[in-house]
Amino acid sequence: MEEFFFVSITLAIDTSTSRTSVAIVDEGALLWHGFRDGATSHGSAVPALVSEALNRAPIIEQVVVGMGPGPFTGLRIGIAFARTFALARLIPVIGVCSLDAIASQVHEKDDFIVATDARRREVYWAQYRAGVRVEGPHVDLPSVLVERGLPVFGEGAVKYSIAQNDEDQFPDMVALVNLAQDSDFQIDEPLYIRRPDAVPTSERVK
Amino acid sequence: MKSEPLVLGIETSCDETAVGIVRGRTLLANVIASSVEEHALFGGVVPEIASRAHLESILVVLDAALKESKISLNDIDAVAVTAGPGLVGALLVGVSSASGLALGLGKPLYGVNHLAAHVSVDLLTHDEPVVPVIALLVSGGHSSLLQIDDITSSVVKLGESIDDAAGEAFDKIARVMGLGFPGGPAIDHEARLGNARAVDFPRGLTQSGDWQTRPFDFSFSGLKTAVARYLESTPKFIRADVAASFQEAIVDVLLLKALAACKKTGIDTLVIAGGVAANSRLRTLAAERCQAAKIRLRVPPAGLCTDNGAMVASLGSLMVASGRSPSQVDLEADSSLPVTSVSLN
Ligand SMILES: [Zn+2]
Repeated sequence: MEEFFFVSITLAIDTSTSRTSVAIVDEGALLWHGFRDGATSHGSAVPALVSEALNRAPIIEQVVVGMGPGPFTGLRIGIAFARTFALARLIPVIGVCSLDAIASQVHEKDDFIVATDARRREVYWAQYRAGVRVEGPHVDLPSVLVERGLPVFGEGAVKYSIAQNDEDQFPDMVALVNLAQDSDFQIDEPLYIRRPDAVPTSERVK
Repeated sequence: MKSEPLVLGIETSCDETAVGIVRGRTLLANVIASSVEEHALFGGVVPEIASRAHLESILVVLDAALKESKISLNDIDAVAVTAGPGLVGALLVGVSSASGLALGLGKPLYGVNHLAAHVSVDLLTHDEPVVPVIALLVSGGHSSLLQIDDITSSVVKLGESIDDAAGEAFDKIARVMGLGFPGGPAIDHEARLGNARAVDFPRGLTQSGDWQTRPFDFSFSGLKTAVARYLESTPKFIRADVAASFQEAIVDVLLLKALAACKKTGIDTLVIAGGVAANSRLRTLAAERCQAAKIRLRVPPAGLCTDNGAMVASLGSLMVASGRSPSQVDLEADSSLPVTSVSLN
């Protein structure tokens, strides 16, 4: 049986793309949103933005965090922060797929694809039908998406010039929080998709 | 300023996920999860595997440390975390976890130097806060001789390895000898049955000219080459003898230089810290030579020499007690933080 309860003030964090996004969402409404762009600035951006967010809403009742897929280091920063913040406040932390929160902004009747930058000339992607994920997430070369002949949205699509338009590239923070209310969309572990590069430090160039 | 601050320390700079809790100079908890077995398959630490393991383990380790210490998170005075040096992706998991905790609790955050923390752990097991000291810091990533006038603010580097770190030399030789990874404990174990005088391996940077130009620097790459060459040219080599002789060469040169630094500076206390300080031969020989030279020797128990959270907490606790200002909450991990930077702003 599903327990339904309404959590009002949510701290939402996403670090799955080059944009670090932090928001306060109150009963489905965006109370505050701050973001910083930069693929290597998640580490300082998350605490700086959360500090600002706490000035607006000192009492937080739950944390929602984007679980990717996304470049590993940035992704982990958001998840690690979200988990310990929730531990400190004794509140729940819920993870959801970040691509779903991008797809929620796309108003396409037919199938479409959301793609984010996976670096190494690849994209993380998933396919949606009427806003619902029907395939993925996967990681592939952009050419794999072109072959599908569907409209593609997201940062990865823009980067590799296969985008429908250059809007709606990043996760929508209200959508992220809404997804988290449905247990079908809750994810416990980061969506890495790729296996780690198994190169020991001793083999690396110093 | 609180004299006995309660500090939680997080360490994730390499392959151990560790949380320690101290009150003043009393150790309350020290919990470590290691991903070393996953790395052993590759013969060295794989950064991405380490980072993934940190994220998987950090909450479990935190929880275990809180249980062990019997304190409540809300009671802590500050959070301390290793901000560098180390593997950047690994450091970031610890720093983000620490800033999440600090912001969640509304407590100050101290981003501290991993190397200074190795030295400061000594204070948890030795009563008198002796300064100044000479510190020999030897680990898988570093071999340095330091002069420490105040561990919270003044660390001067006298010398360091110009090539491999001592622990790295252990790892490499262990690999050549087929002893596995990590090499330090493997060689220490193998050497117990060997003759340390069987082979006369070179002591790097100990020629008379070296004492003029680089008195406190180390070099282990020549030693590494010499061992490899010896193994190649001696088909019937005795493994235990080679391990003991190699270990003797490293330990000998570390102590020669450490004691020379004491003599040169007139400082009569030597602290040996870092993972290699767990080496049994280094501990024995250091005790003998320090006694002969009338130098007071301080070495943390072997369990506190390898990477742990208690060392981070102990440095954090000293920072709080001496009134140092905390780091910015959005501090950036610095993978190549120099040993002279004890903490980050
Ligand atoms: Zn270390």
